[in-house]
Amino acid sequence: MSDPVRHPSSEEALRRRFDTIPAANPTLDPVTGFLSRTAGLQAAAVLIADVGARQARLCAIWLDIDRFRQVNESFGHAAGDGVIARIAERIRSAIGLPCALLRMGGDEFVVLAAVRDRSAATQLARQLLVEIRLPLTVDELLIRPSASIGIALEQVGEEPAAWLERADRAMLEAKRRGGNRLALSGDELLTGRLGVQLAREELAIESTLHAALENGGLRLHFQPIVGRDGRVEAVEALMRCYAGGHQIAPARFIPVAEKTGLIIRLGEWSLLEGARCAARLRARGTPTTMAINVSRAQLLSPRFMPALHAALVCADVPARLIELELTESLFLDLSPTVQANLRSAREVGVGLAIDDFGTGYSCLANLKDLSASKLKLDRSFIAALPGDRRSFAVVRSMTRLGQELGMAVVAEGVENHSQLAALTEAGVDASQGFHHARPMPEHALLKWMARRAEK
Amino acid sequence: MTDIPEETLNGRPQVDQVLEQTLQDLDIPPRPLIIDRIKAEIGSDSRNVKRIGQLISADVSLAAGLIKTANSPYFGLRNRARSAHDALLMLGLDVASRAVATISLRQAFPSNGQLERFWGASAQIAALSGWLAEELPNRRVRTHDAYTYGLFRDCGIAMLLRRFPGYRQTLERANADGVLTFTAVEQQELPTDHAMVGCLLAQDWWLPEEICLAIRHHHDQSAIDLFESGLPAASRYLVAISQTAEHLVQQLTGGSRTQEWSKLGGSCLRLLKLAETDLGDLHEGAEEVLRTVD
Repeated sequence: MSDPVRHPSSEEALRRRFDTIPAANPTLDPVTGFLSRTAGLQAAAVLIADVGARQARLCAIWLDIDRFRQVNESFGHAAGDGVIARIAERIRSAIGLPCALLRMGGDEFVVLAAVRDRSAATQLARQLLVEIRLPLTVDELLIRPSASIGIALEQVGEEPAAWLERADRAMLEAKRRGGNRLALSGDELLTGRLGVQLAREELAIESTLHAALENGGLRLHFQPIVGRDGRVEAVEALMRCYAGGHQIAPARFIPVAEKTGLIIRLGEWSLLEGARCAARLRARGTPTTMAINVSRAQLLSPRFMPALHAALVCADVPARLIELELTESLFLDLSPTVQANLRSAREVGVGLAIDDFGTGYSCLANLKDLSASKLKLDRSFIAALPGDRRSFAVVRSMTRLGQELGMAVVAEGVENHSQLAALTEAGVDASQGFHHARPMPEHALLKWMARRAEK
Repeated sequence: MTDIPEETLNGRPQVDQVLEQTLQDLDIPPRPLIIDRIKAEIGSDSRNVKRIGQLISADVSLAAGLIKTANSPYFGLRNRARSAHDALLMLGLDVASRAVATISLRQAFPSNGQLERFWGASAQIAALSGWLAEELPNRRVRTHDAYTYGLFRDCGIAMLLRRFPGYRQTLERANADGVLTFTAVEQQELPTDHAMVGCLLAQDWWLPEEICLAIRHHHDQSAIDLFESGLPAASRYLVAISQTAEHLVQQLTGGSRTQEWSKLGGSCLRLLKLAETDLGDLHEGAEEVLRTVD
């Protein structure tokens, strides 16, 4: 294929076309001087119509500044606007081509330019990445901004909105891969529309979690763990997050919290809240072990033990009433910090429970190396009880093995009486599940315990 | 988002009377229930300021404290609050909930002579921090944030004093140590330190992230110096402002001397773009502020 853009007349025509855009669309963003979102979409429509002769291809480059939220929060919105203005200036000067510059709102920009082909578009986007990465001073502090960039080449007959959406989706893919990089539309095929939806949802959940930490949107709910004799052996604390009066499922917010590092704050919050509930149960004459979930990120921090102790001190609760629930992989984690933290926790008398045992890469042989006091069998083994003899055999063997290694064995996810009967036969020490009680707020737990005591 | 309308936060009977009694019996500074109620109102579609006003009014000293806050010169509000309800309307629920936290903090710790002096010093540092936030060129943090932070910054100390009988001596050693960080000295003798305890408490009381992080790192020089420390700039400024406020209090009152300024002062001044000599210019104004602290 020849190189049409180099052809003076077509380039000239394009340039003229680009030049007329701002004049025809007076709605410029006051901070950047870029076209506003609406004006930008109109411009895209005009450009698509104009390049009807197809002498050059149009590309949309969608830029999103990484972690801009942090800039805004750290320096305030006025300084944030200053950063946006300077990044806009960099974008403007980095592009030596006829182009239309759009600000899509917040920290998102779109560059529409005519390029020879896909590789020229990529080259242009790379140039932008480099420019944006240059250090920038905000209030005399040096920051290094970075951007996630998505590129979409316009396709024949495509609606402008659909074209830009492809660029947006590619940008989200770049962000999903860690930011400070570019992705071409098409790269995200694997994740597709679902992936985009997920990325957006993650961003929404992240800000919900931030808000919950400041607006009292976190609660612990408690699920009793009942011993063979019917006594409440322990209570597991489960985090709940509320936004706008509704609950967000833990399965949705926990992964986001882990990804963003917010899990450390959430984890420390539940350490204190759980320890306090343990202190209150003790003060009421019903001392009960409180099992609190701990994540890898927490255990990777050298500040884990000070945080655990701070919670014990604030709640004034003895360490033996606290138990940490960890996945099996954490016990086998090779990080010296994780191992040191687990050792220290054990030394101060905090119990350690292996959560969800039997999922992932579990291996019975590993059990002998794990220094836990409790083994919690995953609900998947219990679900097939009592009918499935093989599951029963597995549960019975794991129970024996766990007990012989000095651990108390707990079955998770017990939903009915016949399962409980099978588990008793298998010899488990305690069980947890809807059959006994659902996770509930503290006041409901107190009532539940009181009712049980009466019986 | 998928919503599970299992239990809503608003108007929920989160705490029943039995539990409330238990909370009061315990030797733990609990998160005041009123804070949760205000937060729940803030998140509610039908905010009912009147109802919160009534809740606050039920606690006379809390209501008085809130009215005093709203009428304090910090906020420079033209109207005068005559009731908790007025104060809520004037301050807004967000600021009011933080004000309630600061008022409740002192109530949460039963007072004795030693703690009284401690809270007195905190009140002075808080007042000066709030004033400095306003006074210093290029304002970075809000006045009431600086004030709240000043009060909460060392609340971990009050907690540790209560739990560890020997903590007072630990404090003396930490104050006197010119080399090790304050928290490092604490950690030699305790399993934790007051910065961590304070951070957990502040987080538990739903204070904003930048305040919690500033409490956690307030003896950490690299956190003040380096943007790369990952600490939000607002937190770094809070640390620097309150440290400077503490230094001014010590200069003006000749109160307890610590080594903190020799360890952190340079970093604070750099961040705030002040020279040591500029501090003298602040003395007069600072004295004025300290006179208003009771």
